[in-house]
Amino acid sequence: MRINAGNLKKGEFVFFQGEICQVQKADFYSPGKGSALMKAKLKNLISTKNVEYAYKSNEQVEVLDVASVEMQYLYKDKENLYFMDERTFNQSSLLISVVGEVTKFFKEGEKMFVYMYNDKPLTIRPPSSVKLKIVEAEDAAKGDTVSGAKKPVRVETGAIVMVPIFIKIGETISINPETGEYTGRV
Amino acid sequence: MKIQTNVNNLKNYRIYLQVEKAVNEFLEKNNYLKIDLPVLSPALIPESYLEVFETEFRLSWEKTYLPAGREKLYLTPSPELFLKRLLAYGVGDCYYLGKAFRNSEPNSSWHLPEFTILEFYKIGVNYLQLADEVLKLLQWIALATNNKTISFEKWEKYSVIQAFAKFAQISQKELFNPKEFIKKAKSKGYKIKNATYEDLFSQILAAEIEPNLGKNGYPTLLYDYPCQLASLAKLSHDKKTAERCEFYINGLEIGGFCTELNDVKEQQKRFIDQSLIRKNNHLIDHAIDKGFVEVLQYGLPDCAGAGIGFERLVMIFSDETSIEDLKLITII
Repeated sequence: MRINAGNLKKGEFVFFQGEICQVQKADFYSPGKGSALMKAKLKNLISTKNVEYAYKSNEQVEVLDVASVEMQYLYKDKENLYFMDERTFNQSSLLISVVGEVTKFFKEGEKMFVYMYNDKPLTIRPPSSVKLKIVEAEDAAKGDTVSGAKKPVRVETGAIVMVPIFIKIGETISINPETGEYTGRV
Repeated sequence: MKIQTNVNNLKNYRIYLQVEKAVNEFLEKNNYLKIDLPVLSPALIPESYLEVFETEFRLSWEKTYLPAGREKLYLTPSPELFLKRLLAYGVGDCYYLGKAFRNSEPNSSWHLPEFTILEFYKIGVNYLQLADEVLKLLQWIALATNNKTISFEKWEKYSVIQAFAKFAQISQKELFNPKEFIKKAKSKGYKIKNATYEDLFSQILAAEIEPNLGKNGYPTLLYDYPCQLASLAKLSHDKKTAERCEFYINGLEIGGFCTELNDVKEQQKRFIDQSLIRKNNHLIDHAIDKGFVEVLQYGLPDCAGAGIGFERLVMIFSDETSIEDLKLITII
């Protein structure tokens, strides 16, 4: 689908210099004197490098028509994440460097949406929230009553999250995987 | 669009008020006269890239759709047309701190279609002398807000030639030759179909140069723009560059200033050029402020003028990265 660059949104996929990129950031920007632009940060899904680019806001951009397919996350090795389409049992893999930091909150066996283009997996649509159990946490020190005080804990996927000091080991918490922030107790 | 209330921004809004107070104090202390101005005008200065808001004055008792009792009015995208009139009438150093309106600029981290502009003019100085004054203003605000995240002791300076060479690997020869410049842009992957030299200049500046400016602990002054991007700035002696600069903090353009053009013939020529670009870009065909050109025939004194996006200035002193974080009410 062709759109004006001025309508480009974060998360969409575009061809940039012949390669598929995902829009990481798209912000309208008009210099004090000069043409109206769409400043974009694009992540090349092959080289995994980010590139800054400024489109003219009325420039035509081809946005890729991608499908999002629900898959089960199986496991990861050093470089890749492996998924399975539960209806066809087809397996797919994605580079950890493409999916990014969110992978540290992925739990084996969880269902996720994988973006597909021409039957090839591109990346993950990160869930808005993940629920994970705390496996390591220190008790709150007595007298540590400053409101809003936080402490680091380790969740079952091994990631470290900052949580309010009243949270204890064994509890399950919800996290926004894109920001890595604690969002509440479950 | 809807109305959004953000009372969580009260802390930042208080900083907004501190900066506003500091700006007024600094300019009054330096004998600038604060001017209150209309925001509705029947005619505007043609600016090639700015879309405007159009409305109309109407007499409620005129029930017909005939032109009688109706007149088109435009919300001003900057106070320049009014302030320069007053300068020609001899009002002296002056400033406006108030609302300005730019249509077709959707909300983003850096834009609001309705925003606050600080514009001031100083008689008898050029653009680089006004840069010294702007630096003093920034120092004054930093003192008033007790913000030490950036030093305003000096400018980090780059001419446009230096910046394009250093950050975009574009030579002076390529920069000043539109054909070669467009060829270079194409080799970098920019789409050159329907793109002008000015468009590609803005794209490369935004994507490759600006992210590096104002990042070394000092604000960056980018100066001497190619004559095609002169806007209403005076040209240098060799006519290749315009006496215009912009300043950046943390990769963001905060404001610009120039030695003001006061050659009436040249001014008229640029009005025609700018109107033509507006027409080609299908922008609103507003009435051109002919009175402005007439007034300039009496003589705009030698002066330099600065325009600063006030919210962006406040973003610096509140350590925020989005304009919306300063507002209690925004229309989104």
